[in-house]
Amino acid sequence: MPETFLPESYLPVLIFLIIASGFAIGTLVAGWLIRPSRPYAKKLSPYESGNPPFSDARQPFPIRYYIIAMLFVIFDIEAIFLYPWAVAYNKIGLYALIEMILFIIILFVGYIYALGKGALDWES
Amino acid sequence: MILNLLFFYFAAVIVISALFVIIKRNAFHSAVALLVTLIHIAGIFILLNSEFLAAVQILVYAGAILVMIIFVLMFLNVTQRYRMFNRQKFIAFLMGIILVGEVLYVISVSAIKGPKGDFSIAKIMSEGNTQAIGRILYTDYLFPFEVASIILLVAMIGAIVLAKKEPQ
Amino acid sequence: MIPLHYYLILAAILFIIGMIGVLVRRNFLTVLMSIELMLNAVNINFVAFAHYMDSMTGRIFVFFIMTVAAAEAAIGLAILISAYRNTGTTFVDEISSMKG
Repeated sequence: MPETFLPESYLPVLIFLIIASGFAIGTLVAGWLIRPSRPYAKKLSPYESGNPPFSDARQPFPIRYYIIAMLFVIFDIEAIFLYPWAVAYNKIGLYALIEMILFIIILFVGYIYALGKGALDWES
Repeated sequence: MILNLLFFYFAAVIVISALFVIIKRNAFHSAVALLVTLIHIAGIFILLNSEFLAAVQILVYAGAILVMIIFVLMFLNVTQRYRMFNRQKFIAFLMGIILVGEVLYVISVSAIKGPKGDFSIAKIMSEGNTQAIGRILYTDYLFPFEVASIILLVAMIGAIVLAKKEPQ
Repeated sequence: MIPLHYYLILAAILFIIGMIGVLVRRNFLTVLMSIELMLNAVNINFVAFAHYMDSMTGRIFVFFIMTVAAAEAAIGLAILISAYRNTGTTFVDEISSMKG
């Protein structure tokens, strides 16, 4: 059994979360208690005095957004690998620098490929 | 005391929202339930003295992978009227319940012991979580690190090849 | 002090929920989300053992698992898009043209 671990530096985060969620829940419950509730079909429609909705609000959108999101995920992970490297840089030195340059070059090959295939072209 | 309370809160929300992921008909609701699960798993990581992993969990899972899944949901625009479950659902649920029982039994009767490492809580706290991870990752685990870059490269090229529409 | 067993039980339950999701759901996207649940259960186990065994290896392994999970999600969603283009469905039991 290790000694007891208490992440006390996260106590402000906890208090903040409790206050934030308590405020949200409190206002919703207060509104639900106070307001009169007399719903009918017209009032519950999305635009009360506008056009009736004619299709689902979720329109399908083109696939190039997916490729952008995928590239974002990959380079997001590359950036996250940079964080512990940068923080520990004084302890690990030159060898890790060379390894990190190699890492970035390997992912840069992927970036060149995406550019060459036209995955980042907006007009098509 | 407060740690136990926090653990049970996180555990309860994780299990309930994970159940919502697999029983919600609308895939958007599943995605939102998955988001709640992932954020509470980050809370579990903070309880386990791994704050850097908690940050990575929120950045990578909740911030990136889930966005990608929701983009594909928007692209596919799945209808809501369909048969939800496969034909093998009853046997799958039965197997799941049996497996829960078995695993709980094995965990409750087994004594867990093993060699201790040299990263005690006080050492990690004094060195700093991120620096400890960086120091070990870039000295002992250099080769897996380079393999990870190859995996990312293959994923990037593969996803572009599969998802990009050929010009007509 | 929370015993290690509590974390193991939580991870086991989460893993089995994910496994049931993979087995029973027809929608490919929900199957992918269930796979993410299973990977997260494994992550909880790794970090819990690393914390109670005073080790760093489990935490670094979780880092690699997250990398592989991102790669897996990217490839899986690309396969889904490709299959949807060719067959017009996202249900795993209707994509069966390779079935013998």
